[in-house]
Amino acid sequence: MTGMKRCKNIVIVCGAILLLSLIFTLEFASAQGEEVASPLRRYKEYEVSTGYYEEYEVLPRRERPMVEIPGVRQGLFPYSPSAATVRIRTRLADSHQGIKFYDNRRCEDCHIEQTRDIHTVRANLTCRQCHGGEPIASINHYFSPMNPIRRHAYVCAKCHEGSSASFASYVIHEPSPGSMAAKTSFPVLYYTYWFMVVLLVGTLGVFIPHSFLVGLRELFTKKGEATKDADDEH
Amino acid sequence: MNIKRFSVVDRLFHLGLMLTFLIQAATGFSRLYITTTWGKKLCYLFGGYENAGVIHHWVGSIMTALFVVHVLCLLTKIKGKRIFGPDSLIPNLSDFCNIWKKFLWFFGIGSTPELDRWAYWEKFDYWAVFWGLPLLAVTGLMLMYPIASSRIMPGWSLNIAALLHKAEAILAVAYIFIVHFFIGHLRPSSFPMNEGMFSGGVSLEDAMEEKPVWVKRLKKEGNLELVMTSPPTLWFRVIYFIFGYAALGFGIYLMVNLIVYSRYVSLH
Repeated sequence: MTGMKRCKNIVIVCGAILLLSLIFTLEFASAQGEEVASPLRRYKEYEVSTGYYEEYEVLPRRERPMVEIPGVRQGLFPYSPSAATVRIRTRLADSHQGIKFYDNRRCEDCHIEQTRDIHTVRANLTCRQCHGGEPIASINHYFSPMNPIRRHAYVCAKCHEGSSASFASYVIHEPSPGSMAAKTSFPVLYYTYWFMVVLLVGTLGVFIPHSFLVGLRELFTKKGEATKDADDEH
Repeated sequence: MNIKRFSVVDRLFHLGLMLTFLIQAATGFSRLYITTTWGKKLCYLFGGYENAGVIHHWVGSIMTALFVVHVLCLLTKIKGKRIFGPDSLIPNLSDFCNIWKKFLWFFGIGSTPELDRWAYWEKFDYWAVFWGLPLLAVTGLMLMYPIASSRIMPGWSLNIAALLHKAEAILAVAYIFIVHFFIGHLRPSSFPMNEGMFSGGVSLEDAMEEKPVWVKRLKKEGNLELVMTSPPTLWFRVIYFIFGYAALGFGIYLMVNLIVYSRYVSLH
């Protein structure tokens, strides 16, 4: 077989493989009943969403951004859990799905900020006591005990007898009140905090110097001289 | 001779406020600082974290009740124009003039303002309680009865209540233990103690020095003799000196430790 013929055969075989994979992909997709924009861009139904959305899928227009965000990793295989650039984890049956080495980690390795609240610090509760055993469902998963529709009954009422849905709206893991996170997630807390800071700084900022200056002046003023008018001396 | 400034009722209210305030500060901050070694030791004084909480709730209720009684007493004393008179604690224009004159005196311009019965800082001390105490009482009650509160207010208001309670407590404690104690005990004209609130009166010379307008007004009205009292007995002075300095010492101890251990508090 001549070299040219060999090359031609290789090209035909590669083309056939490519075509087959294309057909197979299309067939596979259509077999699942998925709405597919193209074989390269999959769009899963909301009801069977894994919660992983690619960056371009949450943009108003479904197109790749012209300028990519620096530092954001675009994986080689963009559909793998570790490479997804946007993760919405609030509706998963297992909120820790796809996290590497999860079994060997402690809760506070990733959720350190959530340990600085009254329930953890004062009441000495562990995470599991409220969040339950594995798999820990996401907070808005329909069957999660943490879902706001049932949280007061399944979680709060274990210690707070008679708690209501309103009671369960208390934010256990409140953000640091002065932080930007609080401004977006809990604005009332944020503005209350800064109001009190201004009040504290304003009050003490006026009265501490006032007291200091009173003390200083009285130290260098003899008794009886304080009310003497300057004009009396002339 | 002494000139009477505070009635027995005034002094009893102040004593009640002092005691409840100190206990609330001690129990409240021992709980806030429970994760620190100092907080734990302070809690031991009250029988532990839970007991400190029980004491804090009870004394808080007593403090609130005393405040309500005081407001009722105040309402019985309202008599027409006396609300805005020279003996009134309600701020008026002359207070703002006095603030400005005092400010100038700080920098050696002019003499210290001649004050009437109540100085502007005394009025501020009085009315500040009307802001702080109701705020602490309302937020404290919300935190004492969270389930009942969440039936009236949304549950997330408990987050706000906790923040306000903590912040207002820090403000009140800082103001009282730094500013009020300095004015009352440590400034040169009061040192070693402004005895007015304990004995009920101050010496005529001190009153002439600090509140000359008031003394002149009393002389003019012919009421000076009516408000003159005898100085307190020695044993009474010893008692209130010890009590006052114990409160001062405890307040300074609390304030210093609050600042030193603040970075070890684990909460946000």
